[in-house]
Amino acid sequence: MLYLSFIVILPLSMIVVNTLSMSWGEFFETITHPRAVASYKLSFGSALAAGLINVIFGTIIAWVLIRYDFPGKKIIDGLVDLPFALPTAVAGIALTTLYAPSGWIGKFFDFKISYTPLGIVIALTFIGLPFVVRTVQPVLQNLGREVEEASASLGANRFQTFVKVILPELYPAMITGFSLAFSRSLGEYGSVVFIAGNMPMKTEITPLIIMTKLEQYDYVGATAIAVVMLVGSFIILLFINLIQWRMNRKFNY
Amino acid sequence: MTKPLDVDRKMPIVKKAVSNPYPLKESAIVKWSLITISLLYISLFLILPLISIFVTALEKGWETYVASIVHPDALAAIKLTITVALIVVPLNAVFGIAAAWLITKFTFRGKNLLVTLIDLPFAVSPVIAGLIFILLFGAQGLFGDWLFEHDIKIVFALPGIILATLFVTFPFVARELIPLMQTQGITEEEASISLGASGWKTFFYVTLPNIKWGLLYGLILCNARAIGEFGAVSVVSGHIRGETNTMPLHIEILYNEYQFTAAFAVASIMSILAILTIIIKHIASWKAKEF
Amino acid sequence: MGIQIKNVSKSFGSVKVLKDISVDIKSGELIALLGPSGSGKTTLLRILAGLEGLDEGTILFDGEDITNVSPKERKIGFVFQHYALFRHMNVFENVAYGLKVRPRKTRPSKKEIERKVNELLSLVKLENFQDRYPSQLSGGQRQRVALARALAVEPKVLLLDEPFGALDAKVRKELRRWLRQLHNEFHVTSIFVTHDQEEALDVADRIIVMNNGKIEQIGTPDEVYENPKSPFVYDFLGNVNIFRGRLQNGKLKQGQFEINAPHYLDSHDDAVGYARPHDILIEKEQVDNETVPAKISFIHIVGPTARIELKREDNGEYLEAELPKEQFKNLQIQKGEVVYVRPKQLKVFIPEDFSI
Ligand SMILES: Nc1ncnc2c1ncn2[C@@H]1O[C@H](COP(=O)(O)OP(=O)(O)OP(=O)(O)O)[C@@H](O)[C@H]1O
Ligand SMILES: [Mg+2]
Repeated sequence: MLYLSFIVILPLSMIVVNTLSMSWGEFFETITHPRAVASYKLSFGSALAAGLINVIFGTIIAWVLIRYDFPGKKIIDGLVDLPFALPTAVAGIALTTLYAPSGWIGKFFDFKISYTPLGIVIALTFIGLPFVVRTVQPVLQNLGREVEEASASLGANRFQTFVKVILPELYPAMITGFSLAFSRSLGEYGSVVFIAGNMPMKTEITPLIIMTKLEQYDYVGATAIAVVMLVGSFIILLFINLIQWRMNRKFNY
Repeated sequence: MTKPLDVDRKMPIVKKAVSNPYPLKESAIVKWSLITISLLYISLFLILPLISIFVTALEKGWETYVASIVHPDALAAIKLTITVALIVVPLNAVFGIAAAWLITKFTFRGKNLLVTLIDLPFAVSPVIAGLIFILLFGAQGLFGDWLFEHDIKIVFALPGIILATLFVTFPFVARELIPLMQTQGITEEEASISLGASGWKTFFYVTLPNIKWGLLYGLILCNARAIGEFGAVSVVSGHIRGETNTMPLHIEILYNEYQFTAAFAVASIMSILAILTIIIKHIASWKAKEF
Repeated sequence: MGIQIKNVSKSFGSVKVLKDISVDIKSGELIALLGPSGSGKTTLLRILAGLEGLDEGTILFDGEDITNVSPKERKIGFVFQHYALFRHMNVFENVAYGLKVRPRKTRPSKKEIERKVNELLSLVKLENFQDRYPSQLSGGQRQRVALARALAVEPKVLLLDEPFGALDAKVRKELRRWLRQLHNEFHVTSIFVTHDQEEALDVADRIIVMNNGKIEQIGTPDEVYENPKSPFVYDFLGNVNIFRGRLQNGKLKQGQFEINAPHYLDSHDDAVGYARPHDILIEKEQVDNETVPAKISFIHIVGPTARIELKREDNGEYLEAELPKEQFKNLQIQKGEVVYVRPKQLKVFIPEDFSI
């Protein structure tokens, strides 16, 4: 317990202490600075986009890994963990190079990917993928075949069975996966700084603003922005948990 | 009397028909489209980046590659990273086991709070994780003056890096063990204690063997993150070359100085570690399932 | 709808689960599929439903080969052992599902669906449970929802896999009467799987007894109970007493004991005779050689019948007799007394033909 308080609680409480040393006016001014506001939108928007992309493709990948057999399946299954294992900075430089205008993938596109919000979304998609796959996979694995068979024997075609019977069973896991990926993406720094380009007002994420303020020894300002991030992600997680709780309450036997 | 099993019903039609007309599976087209989509997605986001790291690292040949790695700054970064991992991983392992043990084998007030607190670092941006240690131990921080007087350096030095890494890797082991120990319950421990074994003996002979694969799994993830942590460490390290640069920070500096080959060379080493991590993780989870 | 199953075989890997199964089922029959665990009952039912493929053989519905027809086109209703209700849908939505997923052309209007579902729900006495989720229902209620859901699509064949397996004895009894009623009202052909011989004997028109992937016997409850075609069926349906012996000149002999076995005039093999407990007479005096001496080890009176456990004096095997209480009183026998046991009806089988 002591260890816990020393490593986690004490440091985190510093945020509160430091914020309190600020006047309300100062605090408000810092957190509503246009650059900061632009960064909130960017961080939130790109985390949301990446989360949604991952929910769709992560579910497809989980489905394919559980339901089908194909050569190389084990390797693909292992690779899904890559974002957990690969240092974010390494992922960052690799993705940046790959999606840069002259990169292997970037050169196939007429528009820029690296150094734009799109690049940020790509980095966050990379980071978030395993969260969705790894939460949906076990649920799909344990899903009884009987309900699918019941649906088929009642005359539903495969698509109807999927949409009306299987998908609703997966929603809770999909939401959990989304919320994990989303909250990780909100605070993600390492993989994003390289690909973002970091142009104020355009491709500057919130953690970077904190970083910049720190480099200017503006600790108070950095703390203020940190408070916004913490409160923001707390509210979002609370909201997601609420949805999930409501969904779970109804049908658990 | 009737010969019972001789119920003779040889019907004239014997049709050989291997049938499987059943719409419990998707059509082949759907199946292969989904597989293709998955493979494409994984190639684009996971495989190509991984390959590109090695290709870029070796672009200028082996000699440059080796030179980038044996460069004194690179070696110092590798050494620092290993040091950090060697300190952080055991500490968090001990804590993780203790916390999981506490949470699953005992009931006490504030248990839910403890569970939440353990998970907290996952919900906090690594940059903020770094920030809070600056606020504590930085020059203007809470303990700043006291530390200065006693000439102790925490921030922008090894202790700061270790603390920040501890924070971000804090939940890995406990999180892995809690569900595992929950399903195992306490009956085995009770049996052991009822047979006269002491608490410690019970732990080493009963609890530990039961959780060893889960523990390994948690450790390996903890280790990967400890080695690769960037945001939090970046805040507290101070970026002093050859002194407080971990491998990821070293990569950043090289990259920002346009020494791409060198950056990717160091990155390739970290990628190999990542691949090893995945392999060990899968073996551990596969073994864990066997029990 | 009449069902013909012709020479159906099915293996899982190298294990043969169904071995050359052939059955003719008439339209409107209520069939019980009875057999021990692992005998292939579920597999046969699933093959009929089209949920499982088969390796060899043909299945005809009303003379039409449907071996390769998908379940959704077979017009069957399947009730799963564990109900398999859709847990994110309430009772109404569960029952309406089969109607809602029809292609637009044949889908009834919303009003029509509502009327039909309500009708079914009142039939299964769940009118007031429309809005409940499966998690909020008892086992028996879930079972009835599952039945209503299967009936909603107006199946021609109703297949039920251990429909009452998970319910307690009283509810089971109630539901099986009621299944009989539904079956009659809906003019379906029904096949239900059960472990429970009493259930099969109670409601079915005919019983199919399965063992080890093969059909042991098909017949009316009376036929299979009174006239089992194999020791297995004998054993499986109700209690049975075993008399071992050797056949000689049309008699089954063992020591002093000998009894007529007129069907085996030319046999000289070891054989086993079977007699049900209620086909056993107890006599106080030895009149002839068709009785065996036995000591009464236990007397147990359940309602109107007396169950008597005896231990044979000659070889120490246990026997069980059942007689009306009245008759028992007249006999005036007591525990520990030695009496003479006469199998009224003995069915003799030669063990080489089959494995018990
Ligand atoms: N999908 C499958 N894969 C492999 N073997 C199977 C499969 N389904 C059934 N079996 C095997 O086939 C045999 C018959 O199984 P089945 O479920 O038909 O038995 P059952 O008569 O319904 O038994 P129970 O009364 O226990 O439900 C069993 O030995 C079972 O292990
Ligand atoms: Mg079965």
